[in-house]
Formats: sequence, structure tokens, C-alpha cells
Amino acid sequence: MRDAYIVSAVRTPGCRRGKGALAQTRPEKLIVQAIKGAVERAGIDPAIIDDFMLGCAFPEAEQGLNLGRVALQMAQLPDSITGATVNRFCASGLESVAQSALRVMSGWSEVTMAGGVESMSIVPMGGNLPRPMADWAKVNPDVYISMGITAENVAKRYNVTRQMQDEFAFHSQAKAAAAQKNGFFTEIIPTTADRFVEKADGTIVRETFVQKTDDGVRETTLEGLAGLKPAFAAMGSVTAGNSSQTTDGAAASIIMSADAVKKYNVKPIAKLVCYTTAGCKSDEMGVGPAYAVPKLLDKAGLKAKDIGLWELNEAFASQALYCAQQIGIGDKKLWASDSPDKIININGGAIALGHPLGCTGSKLLATLLANMKRLGVRYGVESMCIGGGMGAAALFELCK
Amino acid sequence: MVRRIKQAAVIGSGIMGGGIAALLAGAGIKTLLLDIVPFDLKEEEKKNPKARNKIVTAGMEAALKAKPPLFLDKKNDPALISTGNLEDDFDKLKECDWIVEVVVENLKIKQQLFKRIDAIRSENTIVSSNTSGIPLKEMSQGLSAGFKKHFLGTHFFNPVRWMHLLEIIPGQETDREILEFMAAFGEKKLGKGIVWAKDTPNFIGNRIGVYGSCRTMQYMLEDGLTIPEVDALFGPAIGRPKTAVFKTSDLVGLDTAAHVATNTYNLVTNDEERDAFILPDFMKKLIADGKLGNKTKAGFYTKELTPEWKTIRKVINPKTGAYETYDKVSFPCIEAAKKAKTLPEKLKAVTYGDDKGAKFAWKCTASQLIYSTNRIPEIADTIVEIDNAMKWGYGFEMGPFESWDAIGLKESVKKMEQDGFKVPEKIKSMLAAGNETFYKLQNGKRLYYDFASKSYKEIKTSKENIILSDLRAAGKVVKTSDSASLFDLGDGVFNIEFHTKMNAMNRSIVDFMAEASEYVYKNGVGIVFGNQTPGMPGTFSAGGDLDFMLGLAKAGKFDEINAFIKKVHEGIMTMKYAPIPSVAAAYGLALGGGCEICLAASRIVAHADLVMGLVEIGAGLVPGGCGMMHLWQRYMDSVPANATIQDYGAYLVPAFLNVAQAKTSMSAQEARAMGFLRPSDRIVFNKDNLIGEAKKEVLRLAEDGYTPPAKKKYPVMGQAAQGMVWAQMNDMKNGGYIPPHMEFIAKKAIYCMSGGEATQGQLVSEEYLMKLEREAFVDLWKTESTQKMAENIMKTGKPLFI
Repeated sequence: MRDAYIVSAVRTPGCRRGKGALAQTRPEKLIVQAIKGAVERAGIDPAIIDDFMLGCAFPEAEQGLNLGRVALQMAQLPDSITGATVNRFCASGLESVAQSALRVMSGWSEVTMAGGVESMSIVPMGGNLPRPMADWAKVNPDVYISMGITAENVAKRYNVTRQMQDEFAFHSQAKAAAAQKNGFFTEIIPTTADRFVEKADGTIVRETFVQKTDDGVRETTLEGLAGLKPAFAAMGSVTAGNSSQTTDGAAASIIMSADAVKKYNVKPIAKLVCYTTAGCKSDEMGVGPAYAVPKLLDKAGLKAKDIGLWELNEAFASQALYCAQQIGIGDKKLWASDSPDKIININGGAIALGHPLGCTGSKLLATLLANMKRLGVRYGVESMCIGGGMGAAALFELCK
Repeated sequence: MVRRIKQAAVIGSGIMGGGIAALLAGAGIKTLLLDIVPFDLKEEEKKNPKARNKIVTAGMEAALKAKPPLFLDKKNDPALISTGNLEDDFDKLKECDWIVEVVVENLKIKQQLFKRIDAIRSENTIVSSNTSGIPLKEMSQGLSAGFKKHFLGTHFFNPVRWMHLLEIIPGQETDREILEFMAAFGEKKLGKGIVWAKDTPNFIGNRIGVYGSCRTMQYMLEDGLTIPEVDALFGPAIGRPKTAVFKTSDLVGLDTAAHVATNTYNLVTNDEERDAFILPDFMKKLIADGKLGNKTKAGFYTKELTPEWKTIRKVINPKTGAYETYDKVSFPCIEAAKKAKTLPEKLKAVTYGDDKGAKFAWKCTASQLIYSTNRIPEIADTIVEIDNAMKWGYGFEMGPFESWDAIGLKESVKKMEQDGFKVPEKIKSMLAAGNETFYKLQNGKRLYYDFASKSYKEIKTSKENIILSDLRAAGKVVKTSDSASLFDLGDGVFNIEFHTKMNAMNRSIVDFMAEASEYVYKNGVGIVFGNQTPGMPGTFSAGGDLDFMLGLAKAGKFDEINAFIKKVHEGIMTMKYAPIPSVAAAYGLALGGGCEICLAASRIVAHADLVMGLVEIGAGLVPGGCGMMHLWQRYMDSVPANATIQDYGAYLVPAFLNVAQAKTSMSAQEARAMGFLRPSDRIVFNKDNLIGEAKKEVLRLAEDGYTPPAKKKYPVMGQAAQGMVWAQMNDMKNGGYIPPHMEFIAKKAIYCMSGGEATQGQLVSEEYLMKLEREAFVDLWKTESTQKMAENIMKTGKPLFI
């Protein structure tokens, strides 16, 4: 198989569902800007792109039809580029990267594009018309289980205490705040957004503005976090403060073969070494990475200690922390904001920056690659848990 | 000129001012709420409008948070209130049709404020004070003649929305036209019960009320009773609120109660009972210690929490000044009162008993009756004003003179004389002339005894103010059973009244409804379902007869439960499709079966403070009187027939949650938002006029050529709904939010509401839905858990979470 190189990876800011900066902006507009940003950063003529895979966890309504193709047309790219939408829930944006890369690796394409989008403000989590099948819901409703309950199950079954979760959350926020201050989020493209404002005279005006930063980062304290009520279970430990934020955002990347890199004289950032998925019980879906990552490392012939940077999606502190422990990287010094040895979610994770479901895989890729490049780290791993009981993981190697 | 109040202003945003503003907004009146600029603003805040409005903003927030709620419609009503301060926004008062002052009880401050208002008010602006004690003539001293003509007292009671009383106090120079307008406005638009008071200290309600509580405290110390003993004697045992004497003071605030008492003492120098207004020392000490009642978490009573979160209730011991635990109190007279069926019997049991408690109650009651009599004509011209003030402002079921009739005037006067009470001459001469009751009915008219003319006079009320007990006495009951009666309201309209405990639906009512409908079908044009059980907010009907069904369930007679529900369904369907209209005059608690009657009626005419809901899950059941079906029909009827429903869940989820979470409305507006009331159902502000308004509605429907609803099939959400709810229940169960049996009931409810085995959008018959409801209902009674839940709610009034 050939190698597949990621030559650009960008993302829009991640902004809070409902009250955030992107809440009134259509998801098509977000992904169009991410596509244009990825093309521009790669410095290529878009006509060379063969195909586009778009990850989306709720590809319906505004995100419906085949947004993978619709977005290309809205971006006014050549008609020759084809597009598809893929759904693996929270790994959709990584699945799209893997499939686009595979197409290059197999020799079927020279240049592909991958991405992810989710406007959780506009298409709610669970979709607009959730319709569990009664016959099955009466037999085994766990297939439809709420993500929050799975996080509670992980916390309970594997003894991840409230205090541990809150501490992990606190550090996520602190890391994100520091990264913003230090200007580390170089993967973000300034994004034009809409808002619909009622003027004093009652006229409704559509205003556009440019959003450049993630807007879910906040100053927290351990005491503040400890004061929050459980969000999913009366006597539970999972709160709004130690869970990921629901967020709007989009991300995209350009993938090329070695031949194409040479032909178009592009400087690649990293290559995708390996991608895998693993299944687990749906009522503790958060443990997915604890299966997917060892499987990934095994296939790649590497050990956890060989990995210099991790993007371990923080769907919930309980599952992220438990998975880190299982992978063998649970030591606090590897994730604490004030630790010089931190290698996990060094710019903060979804607790601070948000988890726009189907976008997250592509979003974390952009962040991971920016950090690998900035720090000169050879191997980076991205992993996340997936509703329904799965984990996905991908290994990237920095190009010299 | 036609007078109207389009724009009002309330000055003072404390709990009373906020309450009046909320009431006005509820009545659809634009209201300006003003308060002072804080004295302690920092230099940099002095020009900041936000800082300058700090006090009024806090007042508005408190009004929004108040419990029980002050706003009828928290979503929309606040938009009618604009806030401001007395410096920057004072000129806006020019545009107001009515300005009501509710500032601190300080004569100087009020005088200054009225002087400023006099300078800017437009010539037709009405100005009133909500003072509870300061004489009007002093407040308006030196002001213009125009001001005085438009100036009066409007005294609301706390909480404003929930207390029915509005005392109107004419000033010496107030225009008659203004007074009449405000009385009509208060009654119709604000829904209040109007009492005409005179410009005397603390007017009627507080004068009589505070006399009663202070005298009672003094006698308590003399006779060595305890606080809980006094509260047990003067509570529901004699038709008064649960809070009785001391808990009411805790609720009102000891400081406020003391202020009223002291103010009275200072002003009523000629009162023969002036000493009654002297506060006992132990109360003064509580106030000095900052123990002011509920607002400071300690007053006469207090609560303590143990580390195990157990509440321990304590009460002050007046002798030691220490809080002590206390046991449930009982006297033989209270036990006798509990057994008595009617209020007169209860009153007799307590006042004429011979135990220590009864003797004490007699002493207090006798002195209060005499005191009330001696206040005429000083504070009011008639006994009616005093009785109404005590009923509407203090929540008594009977006012002093009504209760005097109830215990027997002649008999009690004899006892008073024996016991050395000074019986007023007025009473003696009344009795000597052979007049032995304060009230009587004559030719269907309610008369009161007028001390001034020494004769009986008619009580004048608006024509909508229909009083069922008067009609009963006037022989207007055309049919009756042990549980319900049919009244002739005139003009072909008949009223079905329930008179079971909490007006709960039982088998006898179901039978009676069929007979009554038959009768009205032959002899009239329509039916009103109207009850008048007193109380705040009162009870239209609080459900079904659990006792009867529990008995059947325990005996394993499930076939009989099935037959009973079948009968209920037949009764309800007969009424729904009858050729004559039925109008439910819903007020107060309309829960369970009470709600289901309303849902089946052609129209609801609801009092604004409506507490409506299908709360059966709390008793271990699903609604059994077509409630789920009719609620769903309400949701479906709100969709125009030519619109296609894409998302049945958007309708079914809220309808289902009403049932599964036993949600209740806190106002008629809320009941409408919950889907119980249709846009065509009416909301009436004055509870006294409810049956009269319902009668009008029947006549309108009949006049318009009433046709019953067409019988048709309705679409249901079917299995898709059950998938959603079962999945959701799994999360709720895992989250520890729903106990197993309630989950079981909720799943039964969704099965019924979504049409059982149907698929999404399928049209199903009413008969099929009723069959599902009946089966679910009977299945639930078969479970031990439902029987336990029903038993628990009957015993404790609270749901058992199992």
C-alpha cells in the first residue's frame, strides 16, 4: 500500500450550542469555509481533488441530503469532485479521513479531501425525529441509551470518582485557556458567521461577523466544578462541568499520495500510519478507546510510550480518564495543565473546547497536527469513544 | 367621559407593590413600577441607570420568584410592567390613569410623595394608597381639591394574587363616581371581593384580625395554654386556615403584625378594648431577637434539621422563651369537630364544649363577636363588610356574624351573659325585637340585619354572583343525591354541584349526571358544572373516589372496577355528545377526575387561579375518565386539518409529560399552555362570578344554535411513541429518576395515549382508546403497588414513590 499524506488540516472555531457564536449559522456555511481554508492552506488548485468524504453524526435536515456533495457545490469547486457523507457518530470526522486516505493508499485516488461538520444548535443531538423502534426498545433499550448514563456507568464500574473527573475537567479548561493565550490554535480559520438580530424598531436584520476563537473556554475552579449538580443521574457524578460541551463547528483536510506531493510541490505535514475501530458494550460506550488504542498500537508495532502526543477525546472526564489509565498513560503528569511532561490534550479537550460530534475527528486531527508540527513530535494518536459502543483510533507520523 | 385604566403605576416595589403590579399585568394593564434610587450609590454609580434602578429591579425579581406565584403568566405578563425610579421616571406618572402608592408606612414620606404627584398628575388620574393603617385625611392634607376628589384607599392583602379581599376606603372628599368605578374595576378586572371600609385605623380586616390574634395571645398566657394548642383550636377545626393564629403571624412576619397592633393601639384611644392591642412580652422579645417568622426561619415556630436531614419542628415556650419540641395536640372538642359534618356543627362542638380547650375557644370567640359588633358603625356600616373582610382577607370559611348565626345567636348570648361578657345593646335590642339571626333568606334574596335601621336589608351583589347555598335555601334544587345536586339557575340553565369530600367523583355522581342530563335535556338549554367549596384556591373537584375502588381491588372485584369505569366512560361520552351544551366552571383544584369532567365539557369557564392536572400517577393510576384521550384530542384539534403533522412527538411528548409527571397548572393561562384549556375556553378573574359567567356561556352557546362535536377518529402516534418513551424510561431508570412502579404506570399511560397497537398517524376510534384506558386502569388496580400508592395518598395526601 502507498502512503497517504495530510498536507493541510484546518477547523473553524468550536462554539457553544444555542448561545455560542455559530449557533445561527447554517452548517453548510461552516463546512464550506473549512473546505476553502484547507484548499488555501495546501496551496493547491482544487481541481486536482478527486473525492471528498464528510463526517456528520446527524446527517439530516440542514445537514441532510448528501452534504458531502452539496458543500462542494456551495464552495464553488469544480463539478468533477465527488462527495459523500459518512456517519460513525463521534468518529465520523476521523472515519472520513481514514476513508479518504485509504483511497489514496489503495491507488484509487491521488488527492482527496476529508472533513467533518456538526451544528448541534441546528440539528439537535439525537436528531429532529428520534424514533427508537418500540419492539426493540421493549427488549433491549440500551441500544438507545443516553450518553450521559454511559458515562455514569463508566464512573461507577471503574471507580472514577467525582473528584477525579472534576480535576481532569479543571485541567482541560486551564490548558485550553493557556493555549488561547499563547496563540497555539493555528489550525483555526477565521469564520464568517450569521446572527439574526431584532432591532429596536422590531425589524429583523441578519448580521455577519467573523469568529476567530473557541467560545466555550472558561475560567473554572475545582470548588466551582464541585458545586455543580449531576446532569444525568440523581445520585451521579457526571456534571455539565466534567462533560464535553455541545458545540458547532467544521473541519477539513487535504490528503495526497507521495507522487502528488512531489508533482504539486506541496509540503506534507504528516502521514496516516494506521486507523482502527473496536467494539464494546453500548451501556459503557466510553471505554471504546481502551480497546481501539491498544489494537492500533499493536497493528503499528508501537508501544504507548512511543507516542509523543495524544488527542484523547473528552466526551466525558470519566471515560477519558479511565481510557488513559487502560492505555497506560493515566499518570496525572501526562495531562495536568501545569505539568511540563503533559502529552494528552495539551491544548485542552472537549470539556473546554467542545465536541461537535461528527466534526470532532477532523477537528482533533487539525489540532494534533498543529501541535506535532509546533513541538516536532514524531508520533501522535487521536482516539474517541462512539455512541452505540465503539472506539476509533488513528496514528499519525510527522513528516520530516 | 368613559373612564378606563389603560396605564397604571405602582409606587413601591416591595412584596405588596410587586404583587399589585403582577396582578395588573395579569389583567392586561400596562403598569409602571417605580421605587426610590438607592441612598448609598457610589459616585461612579450615580449616573448609571442600572444602579439607580437597583431597588425596583430587585423588587421585580422578587415578584417573579415569589411562591405561591404572583404572576398568572410568567412568560408574557412581565412584559407589561416597565420599571423605573422616582427621580428619573416621575414624569411618566402623568400618563397614568391610576397611581397606587405602596411605599413604606411613614406618614411624612407618603405626604411628600402625594405632594409631588399632585403637582404633575393629569386631571383625571386616580390616586390611591395601599396603606394598611395611616388615615387618608392625614396623607392628603393640604393637597389640591382635584387630588382629593380622585384620592382613595385601595387596600390589598398579601399575597395579592391569592387573597380575594380589596378594601376600598373613601376619603372625605372622594367623588362617588371614582369610588364606584374603582369598585367595579376591582371586582371585574382584578377579580377581587370588594369591601367598603371607613377611614379608621387598620380598616376592617386588620382591625378585627389583629384584635383576635392579640386577644387570643393574652388569654393564652392567662389560661396557660400552649401555642400548638391554640393553633389546633383556631384552625380547620372551626373552618379557618391551617396556619391558624401563630403560624399566620409567622407567615405575615411578627414585625408586620406588631406594627399593625401598635399602630392601632396608638390611634384608637376611645376603643373599649384598646388594651387588647398590647403585645405580650414574649412576642416583643422574639422581635427584638430578630425572630420575625418564616422570613428569618424562626418566629413562634422554627424548624431544625438533624445531620440525617430529618426535620424537627419546635415552638417557643412563652414562659421560658426557649424553643421546644411539641406533640400533636388534641382536645375532646377538636375530636368532636373533626367528626362533625357541617361547619356549624364543628363550631358548636368547639365553642360549647366543656374541656379546657373549648372553654378557651369560647372566651376568645365571644370577645371577638362582641368586639366586631361594637365596631359597627365605627369601621363599617354593615355586618356584611366585616364578614366578607374576614373571609376574603383572612381565609375564614365564615365571618364573625355568620359564625354567630351558626352557633345560635340566642343561645350564645345567654351563655355570654352567664359568663359575664358585656353583650352590646345592639344585640339585645335585636333579640328583643324577635330577630334571632344576622342573615336570612326571603323570596330567594339574601338579607342581612342592619343595626342602623334595626331591620333586614337585601345584600346587593352583581347578577353574576350566584351563591349555590342561597339557591338551595330558596328551594332551587330540583334533584339531589348524597353526592350531587341539580340547581335551577334560571333561564333554562341548570347547575350540577358535587358535595362529596374534596368534591371527588364517585359512582353516585356518575349516576346522578346521567339523570340530571336527562332532566335538563327535557327542561332546559344547558348545564353548568359548578361547585363553591371555599378556600384558597378552593376545590372544584380533586379527583376520583379512591376509597371505593381500593375496596373493590382489595376484595379482588376487578370486574366491578371495569364495570364502574365503563359507566364513567358512558357518562362522559353522553355528556360530550349531548344535544345541549355543558360548561365547566373550573376553579382551584381541578385534578384527576375533576380535570376530566372539564376536558369533556363543551366549554371551560375557568377562574384565573386554576390548578388543573391529570395527577392520577400519584395515586398509582392512569386517568380513568377519558382524560388521556381528551387531552390528546386537544393537541390534535389545535392543528388545522389541512396541515400535515411531521412530528407527532412534538405534540405527544408534552401531553404525555402532563400525565407521567402529574404536572399541574398554577394559573388558567398555564393550563392553556399545557393544552388543558382551548383558545375558546374563557378565563374569569372573579371567582364569585364564575358560575354566573358559566351560565352566560351556556346561554350564548344555546343562543348560537349549539351542535355537539362531530364524532370522528383521531390520529395517534402509535408504536413510535412507545419506542421513544421506553428508551427514555431506560435512561430515567438508570439515572435514578423514576421508581419501578411509576415507570410501569408511565408505560401504561403512553400505551393508552399513543393508541396501543396502532402505527404512527393511524386513525383510531374513541371506543378503542377508551378500551385501552379501561384495561390499563384495571390492570394497575390488580397490582399490589398501585393499591399501596392509592392507600398512601388517601392517608397522607402525598404520592408514594415506589
